[in-house]
Amino acid sequence: MMQRRGFLTLGAAGLALAALPARAQTGVDPVPVLTNWYKLTLQLVRHTATYSPPVAARAFGYLGVIGYESVAACDPSLTSLAGQLNGLAPLPRPEAGAHDMAAVLQAALSTAVAHFFSNTGPSGQRAKATMTRTQDARVAEGLAPDVLARSTALGQAIAAHVIAWADADGGAVIENMGFPMTYVPKDDPSAWVPTSLIRQQQAPLLPGWGQIRPFAMPAGDTCALPPPPAYSEEPGSAFHAEAMEVYTTSKSLTAEQKLIARFWSDDPMLSSTPPGHWIFIANDLITRRGLSLSVSVDMMARLGIGMADAFIGCWQAKSEYNLLRPVTYIKRVIDPAWTPLINTPPFPEYPSGHSTVSGAAATVLTAVLGDGYAFDDHTHEREGMAPRRYDSFWQAADEAGISRLYGGIHFRAAIEQGLAQGRCIGAFAAGLRTLS
Amino acid sequence: MRLALAVLLLATPAAAQDVPLFAEETTSSGLAHQFTGEWEYMVGGGVAAFDCNADALPDLALAGGTGKAVLMVNRSTPGGALAFAPEPSGIEMEAVTGAYPIDIDSDGITDLVLLRVGENVVMRGLGDCRFERANEAWGLDGGDAWSTALAATWEAGATLPTIAIGNYINQREEAYPWGSCTANWLHRPEGDRYGAPIELTPSHCALSILFTDWNGSGKKSLRVSNDREYYEGGQEQMWHLEPGQPPRLYTEAEGWKRLRIWGMGIASTDLDADGYPEFYLTSMADNKLQRLVAPGPGATPDYTDIAWARGVTAHRPFMGEDLRPSTGWHAQFADVNNDARADLFVAKGNVWEMPDFAMADPNNLLLQGVDGVFTEAADRAGVASIQPSRGGAVVDLNADGALDLVVVNRNALAQVWRNTGPVGNWLTVALSQPGPNPTAIGAWVEVRTGDHLQRHEITVGGGHVSGIWGPQHFGLGQASEAEVRVIWPDGSASDWTRAQANQPVTITR
Repeated sequence: MMQRRGFLTLGAAGLALAALPARAQTGVDPVPVLTNWYKLTLQLVRHTATYSPPVAARAFGYLGVIGYESVAACDPSLTSLAGQLNGLAPLPRPEAGAHDMAAVLQAALSTAVAHFFSNTGPSGQRAKATMTRTQDARVAEGLAPDVLARSTALGQAIAAHVIAWADADGGAVIENMGFPMTYVPKDDPSAWVPTSLIRQQQAPLLPGWGQIRPFAMPAGDTCALPPPPAYSEEPGSAFHAEAMEVYTTSKSLTAEQKLIARFWSDDPMLSSTPPGHWIFIANDLITRRGLSLSVSVDMMARLGIGMADAFIGCWQAKSEYNLLRPVTYIKRVIDPAWTPLINTPPFPEYPSGHSTVSGAAATVLTAVLGDGYAFDDHTHEREGMAPRRYDSFWQAADEAGISRLYGGIHFRAAIEQGLAQGRCIGAFAAGLRTLS
Repeated sequence: MRLALAVLLLATPAAAQDVPLFAEETTSSGLAHQFTGEWEYMVGGGVAAFDCNADALPDLALAGGTGKAVLMVNRSTPGGALAFAPEPSGIEMEAVTGAYPIDIDSDGITDLVLLRVGENVVMRGLGDCRFERANEAWGLDGGDAWSTALAATWEAGATLPTIAIGNYINQREEAYPWGSCTANWLHRPEGDRYGAPIELTPSHCALSILFTDWNGSGKKSLRVSNDREYYEGGQEQMWHLEPGQPPRLYTEAEGWKRLRIWGMGIASTDLDADGYPEFYLTSMADNKLQRLVAPGPGATPDYTDIAWARGVTAHRPFMGEDLRPSTGWHAQFADVNNDARADLFVAKGNVWEMPDFAMADPNNLLLQGVDGVFTEAADRAGVASIQPSRGGAVVDLNADGALDLVVVNRNALAQVWRNTGPVGNWLTVALSQPGPNPTAIGAWVEVRTGDHLQRHEITVGGGHVSGIWGPQHFGLGQASEAEVRVIWPDGSASDWTRAQANQPVTITR
């Protein structure tokens, strides 16, 4: 396992050489290189208009793979994900000579962030340039020029390899922020209809996202769901009962329930989105708990992969069931004047995306850090919301799920089945061979 | 008898949504000026339109960003072609983002507030388009911030106006500008000088602010439109401004509803003349038009968005091949065809190489129809510029009663258009009262033609770092006369006064 200032000497190129022992030296710690880029990425997700939750999850997936493979290229305790992830061919290997882990990671992540956030705004471009400049200088400090050049070349090559793989997944190009230019609602009372007065949101977000290439799960419909309760406007029907639960809950929300709804609201362009919320938690734990580099890159890779797959599976089901939102049903059947506590997202209801992604995240994080791993969630501290304490990742995931009912944007079935779907999808990421 | 005549005159109104033709006279007029700069000047780019040499023609003070601000003296022939000439005035300084005209010392000569990246500077008008720095004389601390918004009001009994300044990002924050919004300031007078600025915290990167009597109470509140790109935990805001009390935010308990947009400009007018102004908020993609959910005495600040219903979302370019979402900046309600209905101009332009938003983003000129729905006419009117626009002013530059248009573009020449008509009849109304606040900021002007009422609140602020100082312009349609009254800032109302069309009127208290 690499320690501070990962510094490797390789006698010749080739897979066998990666097994040579690392020569640890004091110097630049690679871990902050990783966490600093993730901190910036969370801001870029919030401030880049195309970064809806599925798009953000995809980027976290690829950033995780790039970070992991950068370390795995030089650390024999890590197994490459090539051959384990759909369509990922073997990655570039180190050339002969010494490499510096921090420099490899810096080159790879700076290249990756530049690519995945090439469309961010002027402040994001400025922040990327500043981060690249300052971290380049930090990792170069005291490093022999040939080592720096070799390490930089390796990191850039790994990033380029993964980027080329990413470009072919079907999700690389996002137009009109992911909203089709036209949409004709289905002539079916159970069908989703737009719920927003925003003109751009009169079509469902990313209706084809369920068809893009997953990372670790075989296909978008691998973790298929049972259908939601049959649509009915009859009082006493299962569907009506679910809607009444949302309605009556909204009328008697406690302060704690309102807080939970807002804590997990994670709105696009106002936050780092639901997958960003889980990335924040993980990135924060790396620093607060002093996690090792290998554990950190493993966690960020499998977390990103699991969440990216979660959105693909979730969106496949959303498209298949195309269910209307609570606000549509409740206004139609129960109370025309009702409004939910939080904004209703502009896409079909079943299952709940936040539930699916949280189920996948909890599955992966539990696999990496263990069951009953207590932590404080500081995600929204800078926005004035106090940290929340959880006894396990699943406790947090369950709360994220039920927050959507408190917020009035999901029925219970979408939450429960979403969490179950996330557990199923997350198992593919959790099951990847990584740390030996 | 008077009313009957007016009704008769209105019986043949101007054709619905007559589209006036605007002739661009940027080059021929001599308006050669650019607002330039990179990151610190991605917002800003304002213009102040006001008469600084008592010739009844608005002169223009234009922000320059990294270049110097400039005073363009209006040499237009009344009713004829537009002409401007830059003249040394004292405002020639760098780092100016915007400018608002206001008579701070009530001497009848218009002063200027220059908003800057750095210290804001108040310039006392000396007459004949000359100005001198007055920060020290008036005790106004210009601070050191990235200032991007201004509003002013006159609190009862004050000898100087209360001036609110909206500030943006910490200009020195290079790595993490997000969450670095700096405090807005309230400059309140203490006697004949300003006291130390009061911080309006929390502040959320304001790009437009406006004092307004939103609820017909006779009291002014401060609306603040904030750019969600940079705040953390922020939202749109409105502050109470009670006499002798510190400013206080409206709360959810009072009916305020959380709204988070890329707030960039505020335009207001009382579209339905019910005594409660509507607010147009520019943003990226959809823009908002807010109307009170329940207008009336005791109204709470609970607004609904009627932009879509009224045809003013202006969320993407209405012409050309570029269909990516729009970016809106300066907005202003003004009756450009003089049909007695407020129209709406919106300046558009990409922030700065943001590829998810339109690069060829034409400005909007939305004409209001008889049904209250607005229709795009910028292309037909000839003002659909695709330059990266920021500030602007819809103002009568050649004193012919037809509103012209000047627009400031970022890293491109400012543009000016002359309104060549056809337009209906018109009236301008200037106010005069003794003592401080001689032009009655905070008053309402009402113009009645038959049963059709128009109401203008006299404000300083709003838009995008751009302001107009001068008489209120009203279109009258085919009416050859109108009735006018003023509700003065203290709430007292003048009698209705008959006025002939197509002339300026001054109501003196």
